[in-house]
Amino acid sequence: MTVTPAVEEEVVVAAKPKKGFTFPGDETNLGIIAGVIATIIVLIPGLPAVIKAVGMIFAFLWGMDSVRKTSKYGLGTGVPSIGVLATGYGIIGALVGAACAHVVGSIGPVAPGVLGGVVLMAIVGYLSGVFSNHEKIIGMKIPKLERGMMELGMAGTIGILLEFSIVAGSLDFGLVVEKAISSGLVAIMFILGGMSMFHPYNACLGPDERRERTMMVSVEISGLLSVILGIALLVMGSPWGIGDGISLIIFGALVWLVFYRRFIQACMKECYATVGTGLIKTLG
Amino acid sequence: MEPITALLVVVICVILGGEFASIGVHLIPVGGAPAAMGTATGIATGTIQLMLGAAVVGLFTASSVATFTNSILLVSLSGAVGAMMMMGVVMLMANIIYAFGAGVVPVSGRVAVDPITRESQTEYKTPQTDGHGVPNVSYISGMVGALIGGAGGALMYFALLNYANFPAGVAGIAAISIFVANAIIAAYNIGGTIEGFHDPKFKRIHKAIFSSFFVSLFCGVLVWLTANLGGLL
Repeated sequence: MTVTPAVEEEVVVAAKPKKGFTFPGDETNLGIIAGVIATIIVLIPGLPAVIKAVGMIFAFLWGMDSVRKTSKYGLGTGVPSIGVLATGYGIIGALVGAACAHVVGSIGPVAPGVLGGVVLMAIVGYLSGVFSNHEKIIGMKIPKLERGMMELGMAGTIGILLEFSIVAGSLDFGLVVEKAISSGLVAIMFILGGMSMFHPYNACLGPDERRERTMMVSVEISGLLSVILGIALLVMGSPWGIGDGISLIIFGALVWLVFYRRFIQACMKECYATVGTGLIKTLG
Repeated sequence: MEPITALLVVVICVILGGEFASIGVHLIPVGGAPAAMGTATGIATGTIQLMLGAAVVGLFTASSVATFTNSILLVSLSGAVGAMMMMGVVMLMANIIYAFGAGVVPVSGRVAVDPITRESQTEYKTPQTDGHGVPNVSYISGMVGALIGGAGGALMYFALLNYANFPAGVAGIAAISIFVANAIIAAYNIGGTIEGFHDPKFKRIHKAIFSSFFVSLFCGVLVWLTANLGGLL
């Protein structure tokens, strides 16, 4: 008797995200799609900031999915730790990538040197995964932690590179250091980039956690990050003029609004009951 | 400095800084979620939040001192002082909240007698819990951990600033990034919570030191590569 309603409920939940935009269902598929799109965008540093922000959203979405994949088994130190690890690796990888781009130069609009940082960080990420998971060393016994940490290193590097590229307007090492790092913006990039990877799963984890719903939070935070980077771009100046910053702010605000609404609607529909102040309900 | 000499010096300093970070994490009393309910000894947050906070405060003091001195010892010690200040205040405030807010006394759950002050612990511990607050031994252990960790972070900062010729901002963010990578690997080794050097989990420290050596080695080489390819050397 109890079986029938449970099945019905599952069918409803599975059918719901079909309307409109959906995320790829498989972790590997999402990794490949998001990784390829973000890599293509990061390779061309001359693009307008809005397109780079799209790449950044994909990169952090990939990172968030890897955080979810590894944290599911219980890290013991809390979910944020692995997200901060990804951002830390991302900063080192982005610095190496920008320095490689400085040496390799660009072929037309493409700067292939940045891939050096991504590849090197993938190696370091994989090795730290091996150290953490090997039973004779730390022995965390988490399935596929090696792959997860490798993906986190890569996603973090691409995400941070795109943030640098949005603010500096190019991936030239000197410009990145001057505009993105020495200006102090790197602190915001560090923590908000980390937030869009670790916060979604940290906030949504639990027995009823659903991957699509968690992903909406990641896109939402990336939208907020875009707004902040847009304001920074207005102050710092961009080769595309003032429109670049304004369009990034509008894009970020729209992304935030759409995914925030979607997230609240999903939460309201999927929960048994809500008790609130009314503030969130009016927005949903 | 020649690029090869710089490689050696930067890698050695980064490895030392990483190892210090790793040892520091094993000494600070981290309670995690159980401590938030007052049912475990330590500060009620994760390792990474504590260590990152201590390292950032340490970097503030270290970078201030680095503006007027070239002494590596002085800069490292100033980083250690900053980290110790942060850790000391956090542990004191945690104890005030536990004692006057939650009404539990700071007591260790792992040992029956405090190894430093020889005070008895067991009779003050609430049954079914794993200790409360930050007892004397954990406090001292935490201060030593912050000293070692803060000195490690500042050492890395100094090496990146002066031997890899990074601008101050890049040196700071790169030092924090390498520091957190090592601190997190160490945090995985202790499984999230530890009371200090008297905790049985402290005996696993060699595993973290081994992993930390290689992670810092690779990070050191990458940082040198950045300085070399970026035209800073």
